[in-house]
Amino acid sequence: MGTGTGTKFNLPHRQTRWFEQSSIGGMSPLGKIISYFLLLFWSLVVLFPIYWLCITAFKSMDDVNFGPVYIPWVDFTPSLHAWRNIIVDDMADVASAYFNSIVIAFFSTIFCVMVGSLAAYALVRIQYRPKFGSIMLFALTLAAACVAIGRWGVDWWLGIAVGLAIFFFLWRAAVKERFGNGQMSVVVGIFLVVAIVLYFSGNFSPDFEKHGKTASIILALVVVGWSAAHWINGRVGNSDILFWIISQRILPPVVVVLPVYIMFQRIGLLDTHLALIIAYAVVNLPIVVWLMHDFIATIPIDLEESAQLDGSSRFRIFWEIILPLSRPGLAATTLLTLILAWNEYLLAAFLSTSKAQTLPIMVSAQISQERGIQWWNMSVVIILMIIPVIIMAFLLQRFISKGVLLGAVKG
Amino acid sequence: MNQVSERGNSQAKRLAVTGLNKWFGDDHVVNEFTIDVAPSEFLVLLGPSGCGKTTALRMVAGLEAANSGQISIGDQDVTTLLPKYRDVAMVFQSYALYPHKTVAENIGFPFKVRGIKGKERDDAVRDAATQVHMSHMLARYPKQLSGGERQRVALARAIVRRPAVFLMDEPLSNLDAKLRLYMRAELKRMQHELGVTTVYVTHDQVEAMTLAHRVAIMNFGVLQQVGSPRDVYDEPENLFVAGFMGSPPMNLISGRISSGVFESQDVRIPIEGTTAEGKTVLGFRPEYAEVVDSGKGQFNAKVFTTELAGDHSLVTMMLGEKSITVKMPTGYEAAYDSEVAVRFPAENGYLFDETSGKRIKGRLILDS
Repeated sequence: MGTGTGTKFNLPHRQTRWFEQSSIGGMSPLGKIISYFLLLFWSLVVLFPIYWLCITAFKSMDDVNFGPVYIPWVDFTPSLHAWRNIIVDDMADVASAYFNSIVIAFFSTIFCVMVGSLAAYALVRIQYRPKFGSIMLFALTLAAACVAIGRWGVDWWLGIAVGLAIFFFLWRAAVKERFGNGQMSVVVGIFLVVAIVLYFSGNFSPDFEKHGKTASIILALVVVGWSAAHWINGRVGNSDILFWIISQRILPPVVVVLPVYIMFQRIGLLDTHLALIIAYAVVNLPIVVWLMHDFIATIPIDLEESAQLDGSSRFRIFWEIILPLSRPGLAATTLLTLILAWNEYLLAAFLSTSKAQTLPIMVSAQISQERGIQWWNMSVVIILMIIPVIIMAFLLQRFISKGVLLGAVKG
Repeated sequence: MNQVSERGNSQAKRLAVTGLNKWFGDDHVVNEFTIDVAPSEFLVLLGPSGCGKTTALRMVAGLEAANSGQISIGDQDVTTLLPKYRDVAMVFQSYALYPHKTVAENIGFPFKVRGIKGKERDDAVRDAATQVHMSHMLARYPKQLSGGERQRVALARAIVRRPAVFLMDEPLSNLDAKLRLYMRAELKRMQHELGVTTVYVTHDQVEAMTLAHRVAIMNFGVLQQVGSPRDVYDEPENLFVAGFMGSPPMNLISGRISSGVFESQDVRIPIEGTTAEGKTVLGFRPEYAEVVDSGKGQFNAKVFTTELAGDHSLVTMMLGEKSITVKMPTGYEAAYDSEVAVRFPAENGYLFDETSGKRIKGRLILDS
């Protein structure tokens, strides 16, 4: 209601300023200069290696070894000798590596994106509240199974199966109280474990003292796990699960590559496509879950509820509503996973020797002990290797568009 | 106009809700909600946002599980049934159209899910689209439609499978004012023609008044009053209903009754027909009162401002610290800060117990 007269400001004069936009929606003069300079600089940073790669593929050994040369037909005479080496002489190896790379990258990506988006959807729409104790029970029964497998040479599948059986039994007993009295079921559980332990120690070796120790370790692990499941009431939520999944990527792969090697050796899958497909899918799964989680979370829940009322099952909702609507995310994620699988070197180096060799291994194979690094051959392999990725990027880019959700809700 | 469709609809079913409760953590969102909706009836659930009306509707739809209570449609108990087995259709506030499907595919989706194809589906889709005047836009995508057109498609998707019960969650609130009026009339007409039992949730009391056969008013999860729009407007059972219905809302003056006289700082009115004593609120509607010369009404007040609103003028006055609004005919003028009086007929004065909010059945004694 006040009618006071405040201080009147004078409008500033319009003048050219270095850091001021010249008009609405325009750029400031200095801003223009800086941004174009940065763009130019960054283009050089990105494009020069590709240019270098392309000309190296046409250089002779002398052109590479004696001083840098930059411009074909001016600095040096291009030759096709490296292409002859790779495409004609090494035809069989390159073709097989190409085939392997395509099969492995393709199937691991499909598998990974499928499982990952299902997991992401579940984490968006379903509230999980597992007891922290149950997770500990699982970890400890698994540890017990590992002890049994490691110390007694129990078959790995038998160890895992018995371990899972014990876990489910104790978990139901501890958490769900299906068997009535929780104390009663733990007694039954301990008897079960003791019986199994005695069975194995009697069967596999007469060395009772040694196995007695192992048996007590297993028993202790399982009892601690049961108590954890029963007494620790803390619960874990969806965000914890999501973080746990992504935390798998924090670990440097080189740390786990030896155990992974041993695992595949045990199940006899070394140097097979299947081994690399499984390994890549598992390694890339966290990225898929993480990315797809964010994409799926943007889809309004109203759409799903409406589909529910229209009579859809959960799977149908996922297939017919969620997947089509997360298509841009799906395309981006697929492309990323595909490139990661295509370029992966470390796991391929460990898990494949000859039959399942991929292109990155082929690249590093151009480093020969007696003749040094064959830069020209390597460049040719790398060029062959990046062509399919560029094609895929062009194909999938169509789908990476915004605005699919336009018109879903509101005006 | 506000009567249940006379044509009847043999498929229309009764919806009965008994003792429904819902907690979100410690929040008692829906508290002993009981209501009986007759076949073909248009029931409007009205209340301020967060009063639990949408949760109640979602429980009827099956999108939310009830903590206790029973819901039945027709003869069937559907309390724990999945939404798809309930034979209900819902129109969402956001319309919830599938953006990657055309209008025809959106409307036909319930059929697709049930595996009905070919001519049967096409005919049903065309019929439903014609009913909402959208048959010329079947090939479009939702993003190519205006708000009102999306609303129609959402309605068509709901009517296409002839459900036993329609549920509508503020379906008009995203439309602009002009379109809302138009769609409101269409909706009412359509419900009358289809004769489908309908539960409609809104916070807009004008929508409730205009659409409903009966209005159910909720606050803090508790059902306050159920009745015809006329009833809840003219005979509010408590202070909340009185204050919620009407625009502008009822004027409420706090005071107390002692020995048969209502008294506040500036008002003194004798009453009869009640033995109630203590803190009381006097209420009267702006449209049933008039502004008269100082000293000629029930109490005097000072003019704060007058606003012209087309077919009437709103006069706001100050009664002490309290503002009072009265609806006057167009052209009424009063000078700022002039001293006037307010007069209203005895039958339009309401008394409410201030602590419990309950209506006190007493009559004002006014010399008119």
